[in-house]
Amino acid sequence: MEYRDYYQILGVQRTASADELKTAYRRLARKYHPDVSKEANAEERFKEVQEAYEVLKDPEKRAAYDQLGSEWKSGQQFRPPPDWGSGFEFGGGAPRPGRRSGRARTGAATGGNEETFGEEGFSDFFSSLFGGGSPFGATGRHGGRDHHARIDIDLEQAFHGTTSTLELKRPELKSDGTLEVRTHAVRVTIPPGVTEGQLIRLAGQGEAAADGGRAGDLYLEAHILPHRLYQLDGRDITLTLPVAPWEAALGASVKVPTLGGPVEMQVPTGAQSGQKLRLRGRGLPGKPPGDQYVQLKVVLPPATSPEAKALYGEMRSQLHFNPRADFPGRGEA
Amino acid sequence: MSEMTHLLSGELIGEGDWVTVTEICRLCRIDSEAMFELAELGLVSPRGATPGEWEFPAAVLPRLRIVGRLMRDLGVNVSGAALAVELLESQRRLERQIRRLERLVSEPG
Repeated sequence: MEYRDYYQILGVQRTASADELKTAYRRLARKYHPDVSKEANAEERFKEVQEAYEVLKDPEKRAAYDQLGSEWKSGQQFRPPPDWGSGFEFGGGAPRPGRRSGRARTGAATGGNEETFGEEGFSDFFSSLFGGGSPFGATGRHGGRDHHARIDIDLEQAFHGTTSTLELKRPELKSDGTLEVRTHAVRVTIPPGVTEGQLIRLAGQGEAAADGGRAGDLYLEAHILPHRLYQLDGRDITLTLPVAPWEAALGASVKVPTLGGPVEMQVPTGAQSGQKLRLRGRGLPGKPPGDQYVQLKVVLPPATSPEAKALYGEMRSQLHFNPRADFPGRGEA
Repeated sequence: MSEMTHLLSGELIGEGDWVTVTEICRLCRIDSEAMFELAELGLVSPRGATPGEWEFPAAVLPRLRIVGRLMRDLGVNVSGAALAVELLESQRRLERQIRRLERLVSEPG
């Protein structure tokens, strides 16, 4: 695994006071918080910052981390020392049973999580030094904690339902007494109709209980990825549909794509650009299902050929149409 | 190192459900005191005669999870988190509106 320089991540000196650490953390947390940030890789950066602060804000963890020495550089290959954690009051304590942390993938999408007090989504470096199973792991409690992770889902997958592979990471004790973070994959079915921010419960997939109690649950928070054509608002979907001027003026039956497949839709006579039509129940499934809104966009044919020019000329002479009729002076040149 | 295991079924929370204060506190990782304050601030509206009987539509879970995260991660208080979440929602609405209008005026194709 790779060494992580927590001081560098927070942008502070190794001698930084608790207040300086807190200020640095708060500033970076505001900048990269996934709920507020527009920065690229915000979630990844936020996780790093959170992990660094999780260690450095705790005097014991910080002292243990500092004992690794200041010669290490971020990214260097690293193994925890065999006597890791000794010399601290909990040193030599029995490692805790495996804890799991979530990292969700559907296709190219990855998830993280937002657990402030746990190691979900934190690096292997963190898990092996400070995670469950390490001497710094949480003390035994009845029943396991819930775990939380984010999962990115395509709009089509949200509509039809999907199967996604999650990688759950769990530190395990090896025969020589050292810890190893093992990853195991689980396949999860996600039912149709999941909306932005909705929770998916995986019962019993959270933290294992230390004492034979009930394991915690794993909650996946769904995030729907932007779509090329459709825009999502709750369960409703909006599509912008280009139409020809004669389709808008005379009315027409047009084929409209929806997530459930194309449907025929009647464009009313005298429709205008920007007008919205509703296809009831064609949004995300649910009780009740969402609707699909179709926003018309009148697209003018180019007047490049002599025939097109002649037609436009005929409209000019025949229609007596002044789009600026409401302007002072009636907009005439 | 990765090994495949069995297929798990995810259960969607919030299909017209109502959730208790205890459930919200577990799912959003906020304490009940914060929950009562959020109801007092009008960010969420309960049904039920007394706070002990309160239930909330599961649709409030996403915004309350954001409230919980902002409080934990950024150290803001309940009213600050409530204000932030309303501003964030309004920002998202405006961004959606901008994207819709952009699609209306952009060049075809």
